[in-house]
Formats: sequence, C-alpha cells, structure tokens
Amino acid sequence: MRVVSKREEAPGVRTLKLEFLKEEDHEFFKANYRTGMFGLYGIFGEGESTFCVASPETRKEYIECTFRQSGRVTSTLANADAGDIVTFRGPYGNRFPIEEFEGKNLLFIAGGIALPPTRSVIWSCLDQREKFGKVTIVYGARTVADLVYKNELDEWKQRDDVNLVLTVDPGGETPDWQDHVGFVPTILEQAAPSPDNTIAVLCGPPIMIKFTLTALEKLGFSPGNVYTTLENRMKCGVGKCGRCNVGSVYICKEGPVFTAAEVQAMPQQDL
Amino acid sequence: MGIQEQYRIEAAELLSSGAVKLVIGYGQGSTPDRRRPVFIRSAEESKQLLLDSYCVANLSGYLVPEGLLSDGKSVGVFLKPDGIRSVNILTAEAQVNPDQVVIFGFDIENGNTKPLSGRKAIDFAPLIESMKSTGLSPELQHEADRLEQMSASERFEYWKAQFAKCIKCYACRQVCPMCYCRRCIVDVNQPQWVNTSSHTLGNFEWNIVRAFHLAGRCVACGGCDRACPVNIPLRLINHRMSKEALDAFDHFAGESADQKPVLATFRQDDPETFIL
Amino acid sequence: MTRILLHDRLDDCLAAWRSSGFRVLAPTRRDDLTRFDEVQGAAEMALDIIMPERTIKDHFFLQTEPMIRYRIKKQEIDTEEMLPPEQKRLFFGVRPCDASGLAIDDQLFGWDYKDAYWFQRRENSVIVTIACTKADDFCMCTSVQLSPDSTKGSDVMLHPLKDGRGWQVVTLTDRGKSLVDGIASILQEDAAAAAPTASVPVKFDVDKVASWLADPASFESHLWKEVSQRCIGCGSCTFLCPTCHCFDIQDEGDTYSGIRRKNWDSCSFAMFTMHTSGHNPRNTQSTRWRQRIMHKFNYYRGKFDVNSCSGCGRCTRQCPVDMGITETLQVISNLPR
Repeated sequence: MRVVSKREEAPGVRTLKLEFLKEEDHEFFKANYRTGMFGLYGIFGEGESTFCVASPETRKEYIECTFRQSGRVTSTLANADAGDIVTFRGPYGNRFPIEEFEGKNLLFIAGGIALPPTRSVIWSCLDQREKFGKVTIVYGARTVADLVYKNELDEWKQRDDVNLVLTVDPGGETPDWQDHVGFVPTILEQAAPSPDNTIAVLCGPPIMIKFTLTALEKLGFSPGNVYTTLENRMKCGVGKCGRCNVGSVYICKEGPVFTAAEVQAMPQQDL
Repeated sequence: MGIQEQYRIEAAELLSSGAVKLVIGYGQGSTPDRRRPVFIRSAEESKQLLLDSYCVANLSGYLVPEGLLSDGKSVGVFLKPDGIRSVNILTAEAQVNPDQVVIFGFDIENGNTKPLSGRKAIDFAPLIESMKSTGLSPELQHEADRLEQMSASERFEYWKAQFAKCIKCYACRQVCPMCYCRRCIVDVNQPQWVNTSSHTLGNFEWNIVRAFHLAGRCVACGGCDRACPVNIPLRLINHRMSKEALDAFDHFAGESADQKPVLATFRQDDPETFIL
Repeated sequence: MTRILLHDRLDDCLAAWRSSGFRVLAPTRRDDLTRFDEVQGAAEMALDIIMPERTIKDHFFLQTEPMIRYRIKKQEIDTEEMLPPEQKRLFFGVRPCDASGLAIDDQLFGWDYKDAYWFQRRENSVIVTIACTKADDFCMCTSVQLSPDSTKGSDVMLHPLKDGRGWQVVTLTDRGKSLVDGIASILQEDAAAAAPTASVPVKFDVDKVASWLADPASFESHLWKEVSQRCIGCGSCTFLCPTCHCFDIQDEGDTYSGIRRKNWDSCSFAMFTMHTSGHNPRNTQSTRWRQRIMHKFNYYRGKFDVNSCSGCGRCTRQCPVDMGITETLQVISNLPR
C-alpha cells in the first residue's frame, strides 16, 4: 500500500493513512473488513507488525493505522513518508458485532495507545448515529501529551450526541487542563454509567482491563455485555504459527475481539 | 563408605542445617545408564543423589538462570574439574558469587568416581592449575589432529556437511554454562546480526559466532557436543579455539576467579599492532 | 495369502518408482546422523534402526522455507511467490509414529486457511510405512492411542515377515494403491507370516491426563515448577517432534531485495511470547513447559480431537537433560484421583 499521509499523535505515536495500489486488493478489503479486525503491516527487509485497522468499517476507501514506535518494524514505519510503500496483510480476525449493539447505549472505555481499536468502533457507530442510543466515551492517558487523536477528541467534545469523559493520570495534567485527573477505572466509577441496555467496549493494557472490569462489575455490568480486543504477540495472523495461542484459543483466529466473559475463561497468567 | 554415600550424607547435613537451600546433583535417568540433573531441597530427598561414571554433565549452568542465587543463600552443586573452572569463569564475569557455591567435587578416572577435597572454588586452585600443564584432552587431540591434517578446503567441506545438519535448536547454547546472556546475539533484531534460518549461511554464522564468543571461555565439558540432537562434533571447534587461546595468550579458561577475559583484555606489550 | 515384497527386489522397486517420476527418500545414515534423505539404492537405507534421529516432518514443514522474494526499485515493488516444487516424492521405511505426525498436523495446516507449503508437498508424496518389530525404552506410541502398526497418515503399510525375507504389502489409500499397482509384477503371493509387532508398554493414561489438564485449577498447580526444574529451554524436543509446527517469519535482505521466510520456532524459547513492550506472559521455563504440555494434550486435542503427539519418544531420547513429555505425563497420570 502507499502512504498517503502521516500524523504524529503523541510522542512516539504515529498514524499512517494508507491507500491500496491494486484495485482487486481494495475490493477484497471492502468486501471483508469489519470493525475489530487487524492486519499485519510491514516493510520488506524489516518484517511485519500487528495492529488493528483503526479506520471504521463505514470508511473503507483507505486504511488508517496508529502505532507506537517501539521495535524494529514500528521504527521504520514511523519514518515512512507520503509516497512510500508498505505492506499490508489482512484483514484478519473476528469483529465487533455492532449490529447486535443497535438500539442499545454504548460505553467506550480506552486507555492510552488502546484508543485506536476503540476509535474504529466509535466511528463505525457514529457514522450510523441514529441506530444507537446514548454514546459515552471514557478515555485516559498517562499525560496530556500522550492522548491520541487529539483533533477527534475535540470533535467528539463538540458533539451533543456524545458524552466524552477525558482524564489523565495524576501528575499528567498541564496547568490549563480542564478535564478529569485520575486513573480510568476510578473516573469510570465516578461517572457511574448505567448498565441498563448498555454495551461496553473496553480496550487497554492487560492491567487496565483487569481493574476496569472490576469497576464495571461493581457498576452492574455483566461480563457478557463487555467487549474487548486482545493484542498478543502475533506473527502469521492466520492461526498457523502458534504464537498467539492462549488457552484453547488462537487470538488471531477466534479473536482478537472477545467478551469479558471469554477473556476471564482464559488462563490469566498467559495473557 | 563410597563417595556417593558420603556426599549424600553431607548434602543432607547441609540442607538440614540450612547451610544451603538447594543441592544440584545427579539422579536416576529414564534408562539405567542415564543420569539427570536433580534439585534436592530436603535431607529426605538427598537419597535421590547418585554419583558414578555416568555422571558427566556440567551442572554449573544451573547456577545463573532465573536468579537462583539472588537471595544471597548458598547452593550446593556436584562438579567435576570442568564445572569448577566454569564457576571460576562465572565469578570472573560477575555472574556468580563464589561464596554462595558449595562444591561437591569429584572426578571420573578409569570408570570410577573419586572425591576431590574442597568446598569453595578457591580450594581447588592447585588442582586447576595442574590441569593447565597437562594440556587439552588426549582423545580430542586425536580427532583434532585428523582435522588439522586436512587442507583448508577439505576442512571447510567437512564443516559444511556437519553444519548442514544444524536445526538452530540452540541446545548447545542452553546447556553451556558460559552462554548465560539474557538476550543472545541471535535474539537481537535491531539489527539481526545472525540469521535465524538454518540455511548454509545461517548455520555457519551461528556456530562460528558461538565458537568465537566461547574462545578462551570454554572448559571442554562436552555438554554442547552431547546435547546436539543432530550429532555435530561441536567440541572439536571449541577445542581448537581453546588451543588458540592457550598458544597465543597462555590462557587456560577458568584458571582462577579473577582471570581476565582473553578477547576483552588489552596489554601495553601486546605484540599485535591492532586490537584485533 | 498376501502380497509380499522381498528385500532383494527392493532395488527393482526403486527403479520402477524413479522411472515413474518419484524421488525416493528413506532413512539413511549420513554424516553421523540418521534422517530421511534421497537414496539411490536399498544399500543406502538404514531400515534396521528403531527410528531415524530426525523426523519425516522436515520434508513437509521445512526448517527454513522461502515464501516471497521482493525487489524494490524506487517506488516499485516486485514480488515473486516462492512455492515448493511439485516434485513427486516417495518416502520408504517411515515409522508409524512419524507417519501419524503428518496426519495430526494436517488438522492445523488445514484449519480454515490451507497452508500451501504443507499441502502441496503432502499431495505430491506417498508414504510407505514399515510396522515396528522392535522398540526401545523411549517409545510410547501405545500411550497416545497409536501403535507399532498404526496406519494413520500412511498410504502403504509393510509388515516385516517373520522369516526376514521381506514384507507383507498392504495398501491403505488410493495413492498407495496406484503406487503398488505400479510394482505389481515385482510382488508375489505368499503365505509367509508377519513378525509380531514390537511390545510397547503403556506408560501413562492419556485420557486421565487430558481431563486433568482441562480442569482450570490444574493451570496453577505447583506440579509445573516441579517437573520442569531441569529444562534448559532449548528447541530439541520441539524440532525433533513429528507434530510440533510453530514457526517465525523473518525477512532476510535489505531495502532493495530479499526473501521473506518462515523458520521453525519453539514455545520453549524465552522470546516466543515476548512483546515489544518487554512484557512476557511466559517468562519462566515452567510456564513455557506448561504451555507445551497444555497445547499438545489439551488445546490441540480440544480443537482437533487428536493429541498433538505421535508417541515416538524423541523428546526424551534426545533431550540433553533427559526430560521430554513422558515423565510429566506419568506424573500427572499417577496423581491421586
């Protein structure tokens, strides 16, 4: 695929907007991509790396991916410029079943670099706003600078059909920070969204998922109504290389989208 | 009383008194002639300890992984002279505190085991020193001479055929007490110094790099050779490197606990004009 | 009466098979190692050994396999898919454990996406298995619901004759039948009896093991640390196992040209589940050992109804520290109910 544009979201975090080179590849993507699916993005000579497709299923003209520069492949991708060629394999995995969310209220919870997969679902729903009830987004990062999709956060804040709850970790606020200060699970409990007829979509590092699930259960959410996406170490993406095997499940084939109930049934130590 | 019984009693005493938290020794393997590493934590368990001519593995490799000695307690370990040399090298390279290692020293001669007296590595210094002058193993010398007599291209073909068998299982690395790097060079991908594939280049790269990293550090315990599931005679390469270290630098690996590493030490009177 | 093949007619068979386009591979001893390799005559075959040190899996799931060659010039990328050759191959003298390994791996390589590298080779290969008349202390086929004369994964089964003159020939599949039809003139009808198959005592109760593993409480058991203390975390057991199939993908080359390959990998390696962030869910040898056992006798079994183990015993036979799965499964099997 060709890089159309890149944007720096936060220190070390980039978003690349990619377009297809071949029409038949684009058709395949359009026919198969649903929100929640992931791909393997790569550079020949360096390797491949797994991230979600951060763009929604309602906008399939291009692919957006957001990643933190941390290893060999991501460092090279971070230096890609408009016009450069990168490789994409996918879309793989299962999806968020958003048609089952229709008529319900939606609660999105994300932390730091885990906003991208959530954002794909958020826009897939906001682009069909009339199908869903109340939409609440709870998002937090370590510091103000680490918040990603800053311009979209502003957009969501302006909308009166979206309730955005923003927070940064204690110590991460700037002098002119207007929103909350506190860890996401704490702020979530304070916001106390109602579990009635609500689906929660939760993405974050394993430790955050653990504490947020506890908070959600305290608020009355059942683990069957909480969806999350797991990002384990993956390589082939098609259920052959064995790397993402956790318990009886291959994350790349039977995931990465799971309900909290399914995640709790996995051997927690292996996550 | 035979050495096996004597050491069982000593192990039990050290464990009961709390002088050591663990004794690493040899136990019955899955066939009559196999011995496996056992980890004894109580006087009762010390009955599992065996000591006979089948006990050849160098157990010092278990001292470093997963922070065994990080709690400051002592560990007992059955070692032959090669293993004692390993402890010296691990000490010199700051991986092990020799005061925490209680050695049950033994050697195998003509099919019999005999005890070696001493408790800490330093007690065996005279023995290790005397090994230096006896030179490298005679049986190996015979095989090494055969290789020496080949021409360079014959030798290359020999090793090409041997390395073609390599499957990159890294058993040689895992069993070697000297290969303790938390991230081995093959596991580094920025850049990928050594290919992980087992084609000709990848196999040569791996085996040669390891031989170089062991130059002047190999104690000829033969662990790598025995561990290799595809029967590559690895001891021959490491033997040759040991010979080079001895001839060029008078360096006998594991001679003492403060021995300086041969490829990382520079002397003002070094005859070479460059550091390589 | 059955059809038999005499030892001293084997070279005629090889000639017939080669002239119909097969490359013949058999267990052979080369460079101090026994493994499957191409042979020109029966004299090169090592059929008297219990089993070759390396498995037949090596010829279907290569240690290193090129997948794509890429060439980049300015902004143009040229890629070339590198699929395995379509060469017909005949594997002669396979052990039932090795053959069953192929059938077991067919499940994973055919799960949803069909792995072309595996199946192209499978479809172009014929497996001629020889039943075992001897076993050693490490064999455990009978413990994993297989046997010294199991037909799983084989196209033709040869039963050694009691009088040692040759083998009874039994065709098992269509592929096997067309192979045997091709040498029909070399075979003869005979009443000679087959030698008894090897006696392999059952070492553990695999069903009991599987149900213990499936119990969530077993995941946290202290048993894992106890049985894996001496494991040094190499890949010997994985790479010599007829059924292990995990791999890594590596690019070899630079920004102008190179090859993307897949190479063997092992869940016993510390880096297997290492995340770029530094988080490693399995960062001790005991957690990695647990994964190995769980995958073979719980997860794989749950998914595909078959243990990911063919009972060959190589894991223990060739383990540098005398480990392997037999001991762990015996310990589990002997746990009080």
